[in-house]
Amino acid sequence: MKRFWHVRELSTIAILIFEILFFGWYLWPDGSRSHPFLNAENALLILKYSSIYGIAAVGAAVVIISGGIDLAPGSIIALASVVCGALFVDAGWGLGASLMAALSVGVGAGALSAILIVAVKLPPFIATLGVMGITRGLAFIVTEGRYFDLSSKLSGGWRPLGLPADWVAPLVMIALAIVFQILMTRFQWGRQIFSIGGNETAALFSGVAVGRIKTSVYLLSGLLAAVAGVVLALVQGQGKADLATGYELDIIASAVVGGASLSGGRGSVLGAVLGTLIFGVLRNALPQIPGATFYDRLIVGLAVIVIVVMDQLLLKRGE
Amino acid sequence: MPGLEFQDVTKSFGAVRALTGVTFSVREGEAHALVGENGAGKSTLLKVLTGIIRPDAGQLRWLDRTLTLASPRDALERGIGMVYQEMLCFPNLSVTGNIFAGRELTAAGGRLLESEMAARTAALLDELHLRIPPRAAAESLSAAHRQLLQVARALAFECRILVLDEPTTALTDAEADHLFAVLERLKARGVTLLYVSHRLPEVFRLCDRITVLRDGGYAGTFERNEVAPDRIVRAMVGRDLPPRAEHQAATLRDAPALRVRNLTRRPCFDDVCFTVGAGEIVGLFGLVGSGRSELLETIFGLRRPQTGSIEIAGRRVAIRSPRHAAREGIALVPEERHRQGLFFNLDVRHNLMMPARTAAGDILIRDAREREQAQRLIAEWRVKAAGPRAMPDSLSGGNQQKVVLAKWLATSPRVLMLDEPTKGVDVGAKFEIHEIIRRQAAHGLGCLVVSSDLPEVLSLCHRVLVMREGHIQGELAGDAADEESVMHLATSDLRDAS
Repeated sequence: MKRFWHVRELSTIAILIFEILFFGWYLWPDGSRSHPFLNAENALLILKYSSIYGIAAVGAAVVIISGGIDLAPGSIIALASVVCGALFVDAGWGLGASLMAALSVGVGAGALSAILIVAVKLPPFIATLGVMGITRGLAFIVTEGRYFDLSSKLSGGWRPLGLPADWVAPLVMIALAIVFQILMTRFQWGRQIFSIGGNETAALFSGVAVGRIKTSVYLLSGLLAAVAGVVLALVQGQGKADLATGYELDIIASAVVGGASLSGGRGSVLGAVLGTLIFGVLRNALPQIPGATFYDRLIVGLAVIVIVVMDQLLLKRGE
Repeated sequence: MPGLEFQDVTKSFGAVRALTGVTFSVREGEAHALVGENGAGKSTLLKVLTGIIRPDAGQLRWLDRTLTLASPRDALERGIGMVYQEMLCFPNLSVTGNIFAGRELTAAGGRLLESEMAARTAALLDELHLRIPPRAAAESLSAAHRQLLQVARALAFECRILVLDEPTTALTDAEADHLFAVLERLKARGVTLLYVSHRLPEVFRLCDRITVLRDGGYAGTFERNEVAPDRIVRAMVGRDLPPRAEHQAATLRDAPALRVRNLTRRPCFDDVCFTVGAGEIVGLFGLVGSGRSELLETIFGLRRPQTGSIEIAGRRVAIRSPRHAAREGIALVPEERHRQGLFFNLDVRHNLMMPARTAAGDILIRDAREREQAQRLIAEWRVKAAGPRAMPDSLSGGNQQKVVLAKWLATSPRVLMLDEPTKGVDVGAKFEIHEIIRRQAAHGLGCLVVSSDLPEVLSLCHRVLVMREGHIQGELAGDAADEESVMHLATSDLRDAS
């Protein structure tokens, strides 16, 4: 936790680089056609789609380090996209106001998880399983089977802060990753999250405001999932209730591949974001391999196991 | 001049009265001992003092002002530091992180001042003569260092009152000496110490006055210089203890119950040979880290030996698993009853019958028969439980330990191995457990007792094996052994080295 570049993150970067080199070599085009994988456009595409996972993974990593788990992000992503779409497209709100409303909904969902976990003392798995169902259900109630087409209302030349629209999502992800990496490693808030994840009883006895910190963690996870949902709505141009189904598990897997321990106390925000990039590259490159289209879920599943087992072996070797 | 006063402190949990009108005072700057059997209310009183629970009635006063403590944080801010019995430690944080957990030094906005904290930590460790790097991960430290880390933590917050709950449980004598030296220095600096311990010699060594609690009530405060240990024990137990049993020679029968030849599992232990006769109580003494627990675990089939053999009643056996060991007549009462000994989700009956049931390979649970057997065991070993359906956490530590002992005796073993059988057990229960062991030995059971409680080993065992760094260093007949000769064998190399 001392250094910004933790050793653990280096090994995640190494896997990412290896993966890129492998697909770069495997998909090398014949003759003079341009490379289907190694080009700037594709890189931006990977970043754009990974950032939806990546933004939520920042929150997931913080939750997991605190010793908890959050199953709600996938549903919150969908609900945020729907709220944003309903207000912006149907109700005619301004874009900014619609975004703020969608983010508040995410914070609300996080607050519900926090109340259930901190005040009602439900296990995080159960509490967030419930919140996952509630938020997904609300998304369906709001849409009533429709979907909101944001792209038609966003003019083609929409340039937030003077940037190309495609860059927004990756930049948001990178900014959040850096900010929260610093908060987790250099600030008291982050240190106390590590202490709660390492030994919650000891944290309580040491005078850590355990309830308050845990509340902040789930609020953050809800907020960041909503940010991911808003970004998804803008990137794909639509708000739909069945978006991001099953993302919560992909997000947890990214955090774990990035070095987080599900028993708490260990992990890093940066690692989790790099983990989403590892999966983003797999999802992008595998369909380009003829015949591999139907194998991508299988390979992603295998990758989780292989990477985590390798990591444990390396850790043992290190001791 | 009163320092810390407890005035009529009362606390109930449901129907159980944990504290009833406890009133006494601790002078400012003195070392004050708090003693009592398990269940006497010491831990509850400490929890009140550290803000973990609030009393139903009564109050605390410090220097004539009422102390209202709502949380451990409150207590820390009023200068009350606590060294807990169960070592509260953050294995995932560094030494510095542990010392400042919850009270990190920060700049505006909550940014951690890592270098300041590391410097303060280095100074503190230096003051305590602890040679550990501030950056080391807490999980890499020994139990003793982790314990001293808590003292360092209390010092970092400049505590006026330092509360220590059984701080020497996991320490060797040398480490305990070190701790006492530190505590003496703190006392000289004017820190008020409240020291909770089962070990009377420690209490008499460190403390100026001794307060005894019994059954949740106050049972007297004594000046160290005016009281004998026997008087304290009487106050704790509320009755006179029966005189200690005389050393009786073991009556040995035929083949030894257990014979271990050249048993080796590096780096834990190497070329270990010994026998335990049927009817004999053999003590195995060694400092923490001498390999004694690993040896027991290997005989019990939890680990595999690299070489060597084990014989039970003259027959050579290769133990594959604890289940196999139980079938061959080996029983192990493990060191940590909370983690290794009991199922806290199951009632006393299921706990008692578990080993016998699995060793016999039963498929069906025969309810009526088990209930009757459990009832018999509870009566036979005088376990103070509401009945076979009581849950283990409703029992005191001593009675929990008796359950663990009884569940293994129910398998009718030939060899009974006990790892720290009376750790964290009060005086009365300790005596009863010793009696159970003696009685079983008299009936022909071979007993191997690992303990770091030297007086216990000396009073209980017919023969003492001393282990050091994985080797059996020597053997002493029970009546020839004394503390000095045993410690000499257990430590001589270490002393030569230092």
